[in-house]
Amino acid sequence: MTKLETLNILTSDTRRRDAYDKVTGRANYTTDVTLPNMLHAKVLRSPMGHARIIKIDSSSARKIKGVYAVLTREDIKKYSESELMPVYGYFIKDQPIVAMDKVLYKGDIVAAVAAESERIANKALATIRVDYEPLLAVTTIDDALASDAPELFEEPPVGIVPAYGEGASGKLRSKKNICYTFNYETGSANAFNKCDHVFEDEFKFSRMHHLHLEPFITVASWSDDNKIDIWTACQNPFPLRKEISRIFKKPENDISVKVSYIGGGFGAKNNCKTEPIAVMLSRIARQPVRFCLTAEEGFYTNTQHAAILKIKTGVMNDGSLVARESEILLDSGAYSDGSPLVAEKAGYRIPGPYHYEHLKTTCHCVMTNTAPAGPFRGFGGTQTTWACESQIDMIAERLGISPYQMRMNNLLDKGQAFVPGESGMDSDIKLGLDLVAKEINYKNPPEEPNRGIGLSIGFKDGGGVNKPATARIKASTNGDIFLQCGTIEMGQGAQTALPNIVAEIMNTPTERVRLMPIDTNHTPFDQGTNASSSIAVMGQAVERAALDLKSKILNFSAEQLNCKTEEIKLDNWTIRKGNETIPIIPMIMGFYGGTGFEFSGEGFHKSPNSHLAPLEAPCVFWEYGWGAADVTVDIETGQIIVNKLVVSGDAGKAINLNVCRGQDEGAAIMGLGQSLFETMIYDGVDLINGDPLSYRVPMARDLPASFISLTQEQGYGPGPFGSKGMGEGGILPVASAIANAVYNAVGVRLTELPMSPDRVKKALLEKRYNYSKQDTSRD
Amino acid sequence: MKNTTTLSFILNNKEYESIEVPTCVTLGDLLREEFGLRGTNLSCNQGVCGSCTVIIDGNPIAACHTFAFEIDGKNIRTIEGLECADGSLDPVQESFAELSAFQCGYCTPGMIMLSRALLDQNPNPSEELIKEWISSNICRCTGYAMIIEAVQLAAKKIKESEA
Repeated sequence: MTKLETLNILTSDTRRRDAYDKVTGRANYTTDVTLPNMLHAKVLRSPMGHARIIKIDSSSARKIKGVYAVLTREDIKKYSESELMPVYGYFIKDQPIVAMDKVLYKGDIVAAVAAESERIANKALATIRVDYEPLLAVTTIDDALASDAPELFEEPPVGIVPAYGEGASGKLRSKKNICYTFNYETGSANAFNKCDHVFEDEFKFSRMHHLHLEPFITVASWSDDNKIDIWTACQNPFPLRKEISRIFKKPENDISVKVSYIGGGFGAKNNCKTEPIAVMLSRIARQPVRFCLTAEEGFYTNTQHAAILKIKTGVMNDGSLVARESEILLDSGAYSDGSPLVAEKAGYRIPGPYHYEHLKTTCHCVMTNTAPAGPFRGFGGTQTTWACESQIDMIAERLGISPYQMRMNNLLDKGQAFVPGESGMDSDIKLGLDLVAKEINYKNPPEEPNRGIGLSIGFKDGGGVNKPATARIKASTNGDIFLQCGTIEMGQGAQTALPNIVAEIMNTPTERVRLMPIDTNHTPFDQGTNASSSIAVMGQAVERAALDLKSKILNFSAEQLNCKTEEIKLDNWTIRKGNETIPIIPMIMGFYGGTGFEFSGEGFHKSPNSHLAPLEAPCVFWEYGWGAADVTVDIETGQIIVNKLVVSGDAGKAINLNVCRGQDEGAAIMGLGQSLFETMIYDGVDLINGDPLSYRVPMARDLPASFISLTQEQGYGPGPFGSKGMGEGGILPVASAIANAVYNAVGVRLTELPMSPDRVKKALLEKRYNYSKQDTSRD
Repeated sequence: MKNTTTLSFILNNKEYESIEVPTCVTLGDLLREEFGLRGTNLSCNQGVCGSCTVIIDGNPIAACHTFAFEIDGKNIRTIEGLECADGSLDPVQESFAELSAFQCGYCTPGMIMLSRALLDQNPNPSEELIKEWISSNICRCTGYAMIIEAVQLAAKKIKESEA
């Protein structure tokens, strides 16, 4: 970590670097890509939740004028295994490019057409006849686990279990309809024996869709010389290239993945989504193909994981946490997608930032006949924080301890390892809790009927596991700096933060540094833009590349000036030597000739592996989201009115304060939506609100009367200048802070999301009913 | 049956006369495909999210949900028409840039056009009124607070420039 006494460049420039592009409409997204002779793709989706495909007749579609490619399972079967491997997935390769034997959810892709226009493609799709043999569909976790439930995947799974360290393990298909199970255990189960109390509680977590405004989109071109060019809205172009290479049996240097600005991802745009169909249709048509999903189709492409979380916690009379066992069931939908990874994280994060002697956690990915679930901001941590932070309050209430004190008594200290073999806490968590407690006026809460306050601490490991990042920086003769790295600008501010880190180290104005467009042919390797890793992981690679570049320039200059490197400093592309200012350009031209030269620096970062760490590598940084809510419950309607919402994250060191604030606030409002109303509603196999009109997301009018975000800069992060990641923390604490506030207000405990008026009303009625029963028994 | 219609309109201060367009084309597609105005981003195509908001005769309208034939005789402004002739930014654009009232940027042109229409109709909007107007567009990234602040700053900037 570079320690600079003062940060000159960063404090003087607070604007985002992508501001001009984005406020003028000049920002180019994949939706803006057009190529000569480009065709347009559309797909036919299954109307059935679970069915065997008997027959597909696409002959009429192929005859329609303007249709250039039709893709069904019959077309897939024309290719040998050495030409095409038509299934994909993260850990488990279970999702076909188009359905082969069965369809597994309503919305599953059965056929695809590339035509002159989307209109013609849709017309052609309408002529395709598919005969289905309906099968029993299982659309909830309970249905899928029932003893008489049908097995969604009849073949054994093709997949891998990653290497785990101490106490952790994974298993493919541990039971029927469970594609992956993650387990973690530490300490002895005997710890439960000494507990004064053991509390078992169950929580339900609802499912959201990302609703990123830029749709899923890919433009693919399979050229006559068999090179594949892909322009796509993808958060991880290098893993995508690997997957495309595996599917289409092409060398990776024949595949170029290009990513421009992404119009929001929130986790959805990882790995294959629209890419395989676009590439396959282009392979058939030998013309570029644009495949852009509608917003409605987005709902059928990727979602968050609904979940059931069962927690058993052993505590002492004084509120000390001793032991916890938990079982989490994630609704993974019809294909595994990122589910095994989310299971790993949910299973690992369920303790929260507290100390226990014993932990035993299990997380299952349950396959259902619904849309595939995958990565979503918070990545399992949103589910676990909901359950964990609700239960902390429930235990505090049962023991007669204040929820604040319950947390203070059990929180891990700074530097204290999360679990054996792990890295230590890198924020003072108590400091953060005090901050939000003070802001919500915890000690002098408003005394009004049906009004209450609640606290919560969101928690997740950040920076990803086994995540390498590389960066390259070039400086031209004139001192114009080119930063090349694989971090995608999808709104999180990478295009601002990463060049600004370079500018600070090179001591040059920020406008001299540009983050170059991403093309896997030229961009240095990166695992992906996810896990809040841009600053903490890629930031370190960028920092090292800048230091490498800087030392090369200083060494060169010292040689030219016949002095020691320590005697000189870099200052806005000049050399400062004492009071003397010496221009660099003439020195470069003098040595390298009139055309000049480019210096370049390389940087690499990866957290070292350790088998002692449960996930095989100690966590890069810990991401916290402190939250506090002040609510009033309308007991007539059951509506929760959030009077004030406070969220806080720890940026370590904010590279750009506006960007940090934006991350926390955007995440918090996403969490607010999930808390109160936003949810995908399934009725059997039918998603009944799978469109932007009926799927309600937070709007400006949903903002609480008071909405406060507090960016902390505690300074202990592993990133440049002490920075840490910020992307996800803000969503984590919101739901549990509100649920805790509702309990504080009206004494009802909500354990299922969203906390809609009907649920609140029902809970209030049940409470009244229970009271009246007690009254009767006393009489 | 004739599948095209002939339109006259003003687009970003330029007059167009007798332009032939297919009757089935939306304004969003017309702007993007025929006029190359790619700043108008299409998202939901249902008139819900407002990413494609343009100003028609002073009112913010979803271009995805407006047929091209509806603009006959009307005055249309898109994000590309907001900049001054000398390339300087409109106070609303300037405010969004200054306060970082955007993240992924996909909703931003629509939000800016919506805000511009609001400030044209009401140069002194209360916070409540701003919230009410902004609530017709979705931003999935920012959580809206910074957008509301940007609209307030823009109102101030416009007032100052007129003083």
